Amino acid sequence: MISKNKKINYGLIFAVITMFIPLIVKDEYQLRIVNIVLLYSIIALSINLIVGFAGQLDFGRAAFVGLGGYWSAIMVVRLNVPFIISFISAGLFCALIGFVLGMLCRRSTFDYLTLITIGFNVICLKIFLNWHPITNGAMGIRLIPSPVLLGFKFDTNFKFFYFALGLLAICSLIINRITHSKIGRAFEAMRDNPIAAAYSGISVANFKVLNFSIASFFTGIAGAAIVHYNNYISPFNYSLDESIYQLQMAILGGLGSLPGSILGSAILVIAPEISRTFYDYRLMFVGFLMIAMMLWSPNGILGKNGIGEKVIGIRNLILVKKNKKSTKKIINHRR
Amino acid sequence: MKSTNINYISPEKVGYFMFFQYLINGLSIGSVYALIAIGYNLVYGILELLNFAHGDVYAVGCFVTFSLILMKQNPILAILGGMLVGYIMNRIVERFAYRPIRFSGRVTPTISAVGIAYIMRNIIMKIWGPETYPFNIGLRGSKIEFGNFVFGTLQIYIFVIAISFMLLISFLLKRTKLGQSIIAISQSIPTSALVGVPVNRTISMVYGIGGALGVIGGILYCIYYQSIFLGIGFMLGTMKAWMSTILGGIGSLKGAVIGALVLGLTESLVGGYVSSLYRDAFVWGFFMIFILIRPKGLFPAQISEKV
Repeated sequence: MISKNKKINYGLIFAVITMFIPLIVKDEYQLRIVNIVLLYSIIALSINLIVGFAGQLDFGRAAFVGLGGYWSAIMVVRLNVPFIISFISAGLFCALIGFVLGMLCRRSTFDYLTLITIGFNVICLKIFLNWHPITNGAMGIRLIPSPVLLGFKFDTNFKFFYFALGLLAICSLIINRITHSKIGRAFEAMRDNPIAAAYSGISVANFKVLNFSIASFFTGIAGAAIVHYNNYISPFNYSLDESIYQLQMAILGGLGSLPGSILGSAILVIAPEISRTFYDYRLMFVGFLMIAMMLWSPNGILGKNGIGEKVIGIRNLILVKKNKKSTKKIINHRR
Repeated sequence: MKSTNINYISPEKVGYFMFFQYLINGLSIGSVYALIAIGYNLVYGILELLNFAHGDVYAVGCFVTFSLILMKQNPILAILGGMLVGYIMNRIVERFAYRPIRFSGRVTPTISAVGIAYIMRNIIMKIWGPETYPFNIGLRGSKIEFGNFVFGTLQIYIFVIAISFMLLISFLLKRTKLGQSIIAISQSIPTSALVGVPVNRTISMVYGIGGALGVIGGILYCIYYQSIFLGIGFMLGTMKAWMSTILGGIGSLKGAVIGALVLGLTESLVGGYVSSLYRDAFVWGFFMIFILIRPKGLFPAQISEKV
């Protein structure tokens, strides 16, 4: 058994080690990939909140990434709003849209939610592509300024790394707290058995909406950060394929595991960059990965009963032997 | 406005003719969707599994047909070859990607199906490439002018082929042993296993038939637009089949056909009257509102709800 304090320490150690990455990785291109991994991790975390914790299958996350990105880009470029306001409001805007979409599918079951999110993604893509006066169509919006916080401009890869890391740390901390709160338990109950959850006093429909809004907030923030990092937004980055790729990040890392999302997005962002030949077979690699995962380890690498747990399982056995007395105590207490 | 002159076509009358033209186009594209949707609905009605791979699997069959035609094979032989490929592919996929996880929740098989779709798309991309090719099967339509309406004979062929396959499938379901076992399985898998229905073989057969039907639908689509490209799989296959299945009602053959026709008509009319740029957005919006109002579809199957 791993105590709660130890878990937090792992996260802290990980964060401290990551802080030194830009000192070791001098190559601008590699540092750029690291930054993108950090930003995609936030998206994967938000998907994990929906798919892993609440058990709803969402195929349209890229629409929210795009909505957040376009909102922030338009606010900054066209209305000259300060970065921090546009950034936070992008999240709030996405949360609002997520709330509306969630209200629409309050009563709809699994299949319909999947279909509605796909439809939403298609509609958003069409709007991004064709609403010329606002989104500038297929050309996209250029010259989006880099993030500025309290007069400090995060305009190089090196500086942006700390912005992204800080954002990821804050987001994962908040999501971690949410999943360990009463709300998070309600999500998990809803995922495991909606009928039983309803009987134990959880309003499944309302919690679905809440879950959708919270996740959309984080997706929107990540989308805005990506846009400000690239200084450019193009509608083609928000297609359905992109949604599924992002979904795969959460699944590969492990549904219901927050470190897993970071691991999953790291694997799926870095792998296509390794070689050009690999990039051509990217879809096939992801496809085989998805099937293999589903056949042998549906909860991903770090999820419950995932590959990670099977490997660590041996070590856990030893730990359990050590703590046998305390385990017995717990069991007796429960009785 | 008051013009009663026969030679002069008033703007209202032009609109009237255009309307009928859209209607004809909508019905012919709808009948193509119907063929794809039947195969989809057979699977969906039995297992309630979101088969994301349906379109991409039959797209492989369509591309095989395309290659066979390029090799100067007989078109009918080529279509049969494509159907065979679709049939075998879908059975293999069912055996290795769906059967082991048939009873493990909803999310797991869906994602596995997405994986299959990705693999198939990559195969097409590596072998045939992402280009759009002209697709000429030798079935060239001529125009029939009927008053002021213009029909293509091609549209009539497509409609007739689609309708005849629908009748064939409904005959198969009602009159043959295989069809009866399909219906039995869609009602309850354990019970039908108890009374001696070969569950695994039947489900595998259903997948195979769905794949073969999908290939025909895909080829008709290619004939209609005289081109073949990667997109016939996912956006034009899986999504449209799924939409028409849900529009019509899950698990009912009649529902799938009528849903597909409604979908084709909606697309054609929206494209003609509302906006061709935002056509997909409007169709999806219409569809989402429809689901919210009537989630069971137009003609839900007469099967009691599974608990």
